[in-house]
Amino acid sequence: MSLLPLEAAGKRPAFFEEPGMDQLVSMMLELAAEVWVVKERVFVLESVLGQHGIAARDAVEAYVPTADEQQTLAAMRAAMTAQLFRTLAREHRPVRS
Amino acid sequence: MPMELLHDLKVAHAQDTRARQDFVSALRGYVLNDMAAGMKQRYQEAVAPALRQRLGRPAATQDDVHDAMRGDLFFKFYSSVRYNAQEMVWRSVVPGIEAALPEMQARAAEVAGRAGGTLTLDPALDLPENVTEIDVHLMPGVHAAPDTPAAGAIYDNGLAVFSAGFMGRELNDIGMSMANYVAKKFPDFRPADILDAGCTVGHNTLAWAQTYPAARVTGIDVSSSVLRYAHARAGSLGIAAHFHQMDATSLGFPDESFDVVFSSMFLHEMSVKDIKLFFAEAHRVLRPGGLLVNMELPPNQALEPYDQFYLDWDCYYNAEPYYRAFRDQDYPALTRAGGFAAEDYLQFTVPQYTYMEDAAFAEAVQRPATIDGETGRLSASLQWFGFGAWKR
Repeated sequence: MSLLPLEAAGKRPAFFEEPGMDQLVSMMLELAAEVWVVKERVFVLESVLGQHGIAARDAVEAYVPTADEQQTLAAMRAAMTAQLFRTLAREHRPVRS
Repeated sequence: MPMELLHDLKVAHAQDTRARQDFVSALRGYVLNDMAAGMKQRYQEAVAPALRQRLGRPAATQDDVHDAMRGDLFFKFYSSVRYNAQEMVWRSVVPGIEAALPEMQARAAEVAGRAGGTLTLDPALDLPENVTEIDVHLMPGVHAAPDTPAAGAIYDNGLAVFSAGFMGRELNDIGMSMANYVAKKFPDFRPADILDAGCTVGHNTLAWAQTYPAARVTGIDVSSSVLRYAHARAGSLGIAAHFHQMDATSLGFPDESFDVVFSSMFLHEMSVKDIKLFFAEAHRVLRPGGLLVNMELPPNQALEPYDQFYLDWDCYYNAEPYYRAFRDQDYPALTRAGGFAAEDYLQFTVPQYTYMEDAAFAEAVQRPATIDGETGRLSASLQWFGFGAWKR
């Protein structure tokens, strides 16, 4: 068990009437923080590679994916988009029972 | 960006943690500048006209504004993002501090008192309810490890993230601005003994020692943990200061033993009754010709209803239960209640000392106090507010 608590005592206020909305904002901000952590790590990684003679940042900028890679990326993007809007998709494309 | 701590108690946070702190600081900067500006505009353009129509008059009090804003979607997002950012400040520093605590204690033992400072703890002191019952501004862990500097570390590291650049590179802009106001405005006043009440980690206490190097500087707080940290921090920075575990409403110092009694961001954590007790104690321990000076948020009576509401957000949503009751007070009346004469009251606003040239600051202190919606509010155009009184 940890010595120092992470959470302050007391009830969290609800700013939204809709159930779950307050938690959703927390989840969204935690997610944004994690995305930033990854972005910063990629940036640092490129800098570290640069210091070791690999100009990764420039190489990434100048990189042109092959036709196969472009197909793979397109599929990844489509999958990510579908994942992102999966709850909306349910509204107009009912799940088969 | 979070400010980097510039002393030996600094915690070596992992890269991902530092990146998370960067994010939280930036998020706070965005909420306090961009979202705050958007919310005020939203109030002026949409909420206030609707309110005027509904009430048949403009908003008369901050409660009118709060009632109207509560249903506004922009306010809900502003508030939920700001509340989460506050939680995320502490969450981004606590695990790293816990991991570093044994090493921090060893370092604290090494550097504490290095510059001639002292630490006097009082294990018999009864902690007041405003400290034991509330995790003020949502900071957890105040009492988790009183025999270690943990609470001080949480406060210092948290402030580095929280301040988002608004409190100076060494997090001491409030102390530096207040001490330099006194030094530049009253050049003939040469305090020999200076007290900082509710000093936490001593970040603003040391500013007085830097401004008045010949003075003996003392800081008091009720928390042993923040004082352990303050003592080691001062040693690490090479500044002599004397820290005592003591309640500001019952000072253990003889009559007429100080020339300055200072506090910052302190009164709004106390009940009005305790503020009056503190001011009476300040009056007692001050020598004739001495000065009580408090850095605080401006009084509500000087602000428009919207700006009152904006600053008192903390009272409703940031575990600051005494905030509004204090800001609703007549500040001159508070000093009179402590025994200071009405004509000896003073109040002022100052720009941020550590962000400007010394000469420009010296000019700025000659200008009269201007209190508006920007006063005391963490934003790009921040001015600190101070008030107090001279003792005859």
